Amino acid sequence: MTEEVKTDGQRSSAFVVSPQKRKMQKLAKNAGETLLLGIASFVAIIVLFIFFFVAVDAIPYFQLRGFTEFFTSTGWYPADEPGEFGALAIIYGSAMVTFGSALLAVPMGIAAAVCLSDILPFSVRQYAKPVIEMLAAIPSVAFGFFALVILAPLLQSNGGPLLMWTWWILAAPFLLLAVIVAADLLSARFAQEENRKKMALLLQSLFGLLAVLVLYVVGTKLNAIEIITGTNALNVSIILSFMALPTIVSVAEDALQSVGRELREGSYALGATRAETLLKTVLPAASSGILAAVILGIMRALGETMVVWMASGNSSHIPDPWYNYLDAVRTLTATIAGDMGEADQVTGSERYHVLFAMGLLLLVISFFSNLVSERIVVRQRKILSGQ
Amino acid sequence: MNLGTRKILDNSFTAVGMGSIVVMALALLVVLTPIVYNGVGSVFFTGTIEHRTMLYKEFGRGDAKAIETQTATADRYRAEAYRMLSDFEQEMEGMSLEASRQYRSKYAPVRAAMSSLLGPLPGDPVPMLTRFQYGQTRWEKAEEKLHNILYEKKWDYSDPTVMAKAFDVPRAEEFAGTKLAPLFSYAERHLADMMQPQFTVYWGFFTDRSLDAHIFGGIWPEIQGTFFLAIGAMLFAFPLGVIAAVYFTEYAKEGFFTSILRSANSTLAGVPSIVFGLFGLAFFINTMKVSESKSVLAGALTLAIMILPTIIRAAEEAILSVPKTYKEASLGLGSTKWNTIVTVILPAALPGIITGGIISLGRAAGETAPIIFTAAVSVGSAIGIADVFSSPTPALSWNIYNLASEHEMASEIRHVQYGMVLSLVSIVLLLNLSAILLRAKISQKLKG
Repeated sequence: MTEEVKTDGQRSSAFVVSPQKRKMQKLAKNAGETLLLGIASFVAIIVLFIFFFVAVDAIPYFQLRGFTEFFTSTGWYPADEPGEFGALAIIYGSAMVTFGSALLAVPMGIAAAVCLSDILPFSVRQYAKPVIEMLAAIPSVAFGFFALVILAPLLQSNGGPLLMWTWWILAAPFLLLAVIVAADLLSARFAQEENRKKMALLLQSLFGLLAVLVLYVVGTKLNAIEIITGTNALNVSIILSFMALPTIVSVAEDALQSVGRELREGSYALGATRAETLLKTVLPAASSGILAAVILGIMRALGETMVVWMASGNSSHIPDPWYNYLDAVRTLTATIAGDMGEADQVTGSERYHVLFAMGLLLLVISFFSNLVSERIVVRQRKILSGQ
Repeated sequence: MNLGTRKILDNSFTAVGMGSIVVMALALLVVLTPIVYNGVGSVFFTGTIEHRTMLYKEFGRGDAKAIETQTATADRYRAEAYRMLSDFEQEMEGMSLEASRQYRSKYAPVRAAMSSLLGPLPGDPVPMLTRFQYGQTRWEKAEEKLHNILYEKKWDYSDPTVMAKAFDVPRAEEFAGTKLAPLFSYAERHLADMMQPQFTVYWGFFTDRSLDAHIFGGIWPEIQGTFFLAIGAMLFAFPLGVIAAVYFTEYAKEGFFTSILRSANSTLAGVPSIVFGLFGLAFFINTMKVSESKSVLAGALTLAIMILPTIIRAAEEAILSVPKTYKEASLGLGSTKWNTIVTVILPAALPGIITGGIISLGRAAGETAPIIFTAAVSVGSAIGIADVFSSPTPALSWNIYNLASEHEMASEIRHVQYGMVLSLVSIVLLLNLSAILLRAKISQKLKG
């Protein structure tokens, strides 16, 4: 190569690319990039295809039967001639187990995320993260099997005592806390400086007595409950909440971490405790990210199939009374999974198309929730980075 | 609020956070413990002579001589019980019509329970179904059946305000004074002699075909089916995902079009798994007709679509975490962009990409809903590699559901179900564990 470099200013022939070759290279580069773009757009094409093919099989149902029956009737008798396709009870069942699981998973998930991002030292966090990942990795059918074979019989045979102990273990610490805080607040408000301690003690014992009474009365009420069927909305809600937790925790933790140190340090400098800093400064700043986490967690619960199919009882009716979580329910996902086997898959029938209508409903809900949560996350990132 | 209360509140806030993490860990423990404990019981258990006979006859395994001597011993004790049965049958012939009718209806369940414990009774024709050709193969099941022989289950409806309660009535009392009466104490005393229990390690559980819808035999067809589906899905999704990630990280210019592609990716990640199943049925099977009906191919394609967003995201993260200096050095040495990607960036990002791939593999193996309509059958034998384009397969995830919820003898084969759940959970968790370890190693390496 050295001998080819002759004089300055004159380029070596080794580095000269003929115009033809350069053209070819440019062509290859463009072709390659187009191919890459094509493959990258594959995902978008799939999303369009999913919408298209689910909609194509769902629309015939609405053409045949209209919208009213599907959304307002509770009669679900797809096997009859003529069939009834009222999905209201099924939609309600889906909403019910999703709400139940959110009720359990959201507070726990946010608390765990706060703990992971702000409270636990790094050494402990290293071990807590794999636990959450394992919880997320366990296949849904294994959770369903647990719900059906272990939790359901347990609820059926020992439901009352189980509920009572859960209530006691969960409620006792919170009530204790409420007693202390209430006594403190009231005594600070109404008593003179010198009497405050006595007043607080008096109020504490008074409220404490009340709290024990509440614990006892509600406990005995729960103990007396006999659960007729273990495969019910409560069972499913509990299991679903543990399936939604990892999603909530990881997304919420990301949101909390994206709140900078400056906000936290400012709050500490003003004399706030850690809890006050987190509750009054960090959580409000991260609120939109946490909302996104909650939405994603709820979607995880709503879209879950195997657990609800195995352990919800699959009974298409609105529980009586409507908030009765100890009743069997049926959900959209379980109905799709369970009824497709009996529907005519090849030629199609109302029975086949109604299941696609349910699928379309799920798809639309998940699409919009995703869109909303994504927008929220983007907006939060912009706000926090000060744009 | 005084300072003490504020401190208490602060501490209890910490306690709530830690409590929820502890609850999660406990939940993991509570779910996994019974699965592991009972799942191990599908391989390590106390087997009876019936189990060894079944293995010898159906799979040609076992020590023929030992089985013969044990069978001979067991038969000696069984013969005594059979004699009592036939004696009683003769005694009933001689009874008055009324008494004989009464005893006959009570005797039928005893005879059925005996036959389910010991296999076909002498004089019975050889049953068609394999499940009736052998007695109880597991000792704890044999004890359960003995209980059914000894006691009759009755329901107490006396108090209409509470649910009926079950209670046991000893059959020995009902048959007191007849020639059947000694059978019950005999069976209780000599159960071990009749069944010849022995600690058994049945590795064949993982490698044997199933007999008579999983009542005997192993779960090999399901394990194989799960591997076919998961690996098939990876074959499609992994290259596509990595290439798409390369595009997103190295080529895409931030703009409207790219943001749409990114939204599509997160939308796809959020689609409920059952909707993938519907799509697989409507598109791959009914429209594209990749196969006549369900097939491994259709299932693998459906699963591939499902895991694609996860792979893309993981690969993107891995590529972004490659230090910029690597790329700059390579470009500075005069290599082209594509060359840099293939020879520098991808090798450096490979461990991270593989981590994402492993996690997706686990997800594909564990998912049930997408394969219900596209690939899974309840019963079937293991399929050959050439059949993946045309035939459906049993798979662990689907068969766990099927055996637990739809099998006609679901409560009799809990050990098989637990064994399947344990196999599936260990496959998935081992994959995840290796991914976690791999990632820890990478982060150590990046730290230097």
